[in-house]
Amino acid sequence: MSINKLYSDLPADLLKALNNNSIPCQDPIIWANADMDTDCTFRIHVLVLTRTTLIHGSAPEHTTRRTMTGFGKPEAIDYSTFTWETFELSTLSNPTVDNLVVGGLFHVVINDVDTPIAAYTNSYNPRMHKFKDLFNKLLEGKEITEDQLIERDREQICPKCGSPYPDKHRKICPKCIDRRSIFFRLFAYFKPYWGLLVVVSLLSILNSLCNSIWPYLNGTILYDNVLSKNMGKIGEYFPSVTDFFQWILILALTMAGLKVLQQLFGIIQGRIIANIVPNVVSKVKSQVFESIQSLSVSFFSKRQTGSLMTRIVDDAGSISELFIDGLPYLLPNVLTVIFSCYVMYSTNWLLALVATLVLPPAFIFVGKLEPLFWHYWSKQHQTNRNLRARVNDNLVGARVVKAFGQQDQEMARFSKANNRVLDAQMDTVKFDTKFHAIFWIAKNASIMLVWAIGAMIVLNLTGSSMTYGTLITFVGYVGLLAGPLDFFSYIFRWWAHSMNSAQRIFEIIDSQPDVVETLNPIPVDTLKGDIRLENVSFSYEANKKVLKGINLHVEPGKMLGIVGKSGAGKSTLVNLITRLYDPTEGNIYLDGINVRDMSFADVRRNIAFVSQETYIFRGTIFENIAYGKPDATKEEVLQAAIAASAHNFICKLPDGYDTMVGSGGRSLSGGERQRISIARAILANPRILILDEATAAVDTETEKNIQAALSKLIVGRTTLSIAHRLSTLRDADSLIVLEDGKIIESGEHGQLVRQKGAYFKLLQIQSKALAMRGIED
Amino acid sequence: MSTENLNTENLDILEQEKKNVDRLLSMNYLTPDNATFAATPGGFVSLTTAEKNWPRVTIYRAFPFTQPGQYLSVREPDDKAKEIGIIQDLSQWDEATQSLIERQLALRYYMPTILRVHSIKEEYGYAYWSVLTDRGPCRFTISSGSSSVVRLSDSHVIVKDIDENRYEIPDLTKLTPKELKRVDLYI
Repeated sequence: MSINKLYSDLPADLLKALNNNSIPCQDPIIWANADMDTDCTFRIHVLVLTRTTLIHGSAPEHTTRRTMTGFGKPEAIDYSTFTWETFELSTLSNPTVDNLVVGGLFHVVINDVDTPIAAYTNSYNPRMHKFKDLFNKLLEGKEITEDQLIERDREQICPKCGSPYPDKHRKICPKCIDRRSIFFRLFAYFKPYWGLLVVVSLLSILNSLCNSIWPYLNGTILYDNVLSKNMGKIGEYFPSVTDFFQWILILALTMAGLKVLQQLFGIIQGRIIANIVPNVVSKVKSQVFESIQSLSVSFFSKRQTGSLMTRIVDDAGSISELFIDGLPYLLPNVLTVIFSCYVMYSTNWLLALVATLVLPPAFIFVGKLEPLFWHYWSKQHQTNRNLRARVNDNLVGARVVKAFGQQDQEMARFSKANNRVLDAQMDTVKFDTKFHAIFWIAKNASIMLVWAIGAMIVLNLTGSSMTYGTLITFVGYVGLLAGPLDFFSYIFRWWAHSMNSAQRIFEIIDSQPDVVETLNPIPVDTLKGDIRLENVSFSYEANKKVLKGINLHVEPGKMLGIVGKSGAGKSTLVNLITRLYDPTEGNIYLDGINVRDMSFADVRRNIAFVSQETYIFRGTIFENIAYGKPDATKEEVLQAAIAASAHNFICKLPDGYDTMVGSGGRSLSGGERQRISIARAILANPRILILDEATAAVDTETEKNIQAALSKLIVGRTTLSIAHRLSTLRDADSLIVLEDGKIIESGEHGQLVRQKGAYFKLLQIQSKALAMRGIED
Repeated sequence: MSTENLNTENLDILEQEKKNVDRLLSMNYLTPDNATFAATPGGFVSLTTAEKNWPRVTIYRAFPFTQPGQYLSVREPDDKAKEIGIIQDLSQWDEATQSLIERQLALRYYMPTILRVHSIKEEYGYAYWSVLTDRGPCRFTISSGSSSVVRLSDSHVIVKDIDENRYEIPDLTKLTPKELKRVDLYI
């Protein structure tokens, strides 16, 4: 357990500077940095809030060089040169933070003049907001507890290098991680197959061995021994063979046999690989999918669906490329190079030197170009992802596109994205061909040189001598070098490609859900359904509070109606109760137990959610209703459907409860979908029921049906119901009116009517408007 | 629901609401004839119209990129930021008001412009940019996975770093081919 950092812990340098300037700093509450003057020029500021004063310090000069988050530890600030001013709290009022497009502006009323103090970029935003909040509390005379001073953000710092994590959902410091660790993580996926991979490697070693013998048989033995009828040493091994034709036959058979063997090795290798790849790929895919499932809702709102799909489908495939086409051949290729070089140098060092001269520059060349490979591949991948996202958008919005007759414009947009993919692919191909052209020239130039110089040696023009067969063998080995060279040119790309994909995949696998399940949940079987919110605040972004200090209590079995304008925070409030998000401040208790201390399963088993957005997945209607209780019997499902007044329309369908619905299946109307989701909730038999605009999307007739179904469902359950149409809340035991994230009114219907406040006004507008349209309520 | 006894006040409230809605749904232009902006002692802006005086107002751009000087929305300074009116064209105002309002806008829409791209280094999902902005050299980090670069047009892009700070490249064609190649991957 680490010691809690507090907002009031002033850095030693700052304390010293204050001391040197004899500025008293008794009992500090919080300090914060800002990085801009109020005209947006860069200058470091520091604000210290004590129980009696506000101390403001600013750097003597403008900062010209800026380093934002991501470059290691934040730069140290030299407070000793700062200019200081101190304000008595009694002269101050209304500290405010204005949210700017980027960052914010801190200002405070000093002696009745609203005075801007400092501006700051986003990196300083969360802390400045905390500063402002505590400042306000202090001025209002509220107590500031130790708990409020604990600095939780500080845990988001890499312990190794001290720099903040670029993504606070993923506690990985990109500075302190290297590609090799990605590689070894990937390798772990292949671990179960290591035996087979060893076999593959062995086979490829055998294969390259066959390859390496070939030039020798093809050159020296064929020309110098067999054709020149001088078997030399080899003849001693086969004393019985004397005939020339017999020798030719043996050689031919050996060579043919070698080729057959090579093919055989190749086939076995191919089969083993075909066995491993799909296994690994599917394992990676399901792991990615699994971690996507465990992520919090906020993850999905930040990313495009198309790009997530690419990750699951494509990236998993491309990471195996390196392990399948690359690594098993690494050793054999290295061995081939060593073996060839050995043979060449022991035959004729001069010729060998000529042949291998091209190697070092070739490797340097490949090394230099590797980043470019990386670049082109990433670019291609990215354009592809954009294209997918575009197609996805278009398909989802197909109706709107047609309704507005915008097909042509969509075509134009598509072809723009499509052309980008084309350009990126062309770039990659161009680069590829250029690269290989150079490679090919280098390879062939060395063979030509070997032929030329070799011919001179054979013709005895250089003083040394060599047989024709040796030259043929030699050229064979030079040719053999081309394979590994080619391989090494590719392996960089595979490496780049695989690491690129792996990095994207691990980004998902490593993502930390915002809402984390506790390790030791308090076991809860069935809740009574008591809901209590204490001082709950919530913000999706650091600076925009959606809920502010909500307190409420719903007794078991009671119904609470939640009323308010769009954007007042109604849906957010119920999302917090189901733990789709966690409150930024305050706590939520179910039956007196903090929801954070309960397991997800327990919370969600006890809460059912019927919302305006119905989710019908691919499957039969039966499966859809039984979604929350997969072991439900036919009878239970039937009962639930009847209670949800869904039974009638389902029975009328040709395939009844076995009708396939969801994408590609039969389409259902809004009301039908809604009733299926109500049946789902009934079957789940939760203690707490949340209705979020459950009838907003349907016509009045259907609404009546659904209302009837709902009124059956809510009996005996704690119900939270959000509705715009106040008539749907007539059964509520109590009501709250939300405005701008605050409860502005609460009580039961009659009481609120008597109060003649916001609820009364809403009620009047609605009933009057309905009456004017001739609809009796 | 018993609404009978409420009906007496219904019309009033409906009328009021209608007026509110009408006000909300109509465009209210602020012109030099019907409004006066002035600087406050603290350096903010106040507004006086025939109806009311606002000790402080905030000013938003409706089209920050395409029409920064037109259709400025003048709003109340609190969280709700209710609109007071719209300035159709700032250039119709006197110079003092223009510079006063432009100062406010410069603060609200503060965004460094990238002039040169020295280097971009990509590493494990993040790209580290080293650039020269109109406010001096700057280094920042973007996440290369999500859409950190927003393309406003073919040549105009906004780059968002991991803290959601923004940087603008108003014209990509003004970058050198080498710089363009560095940036290319993220566009």
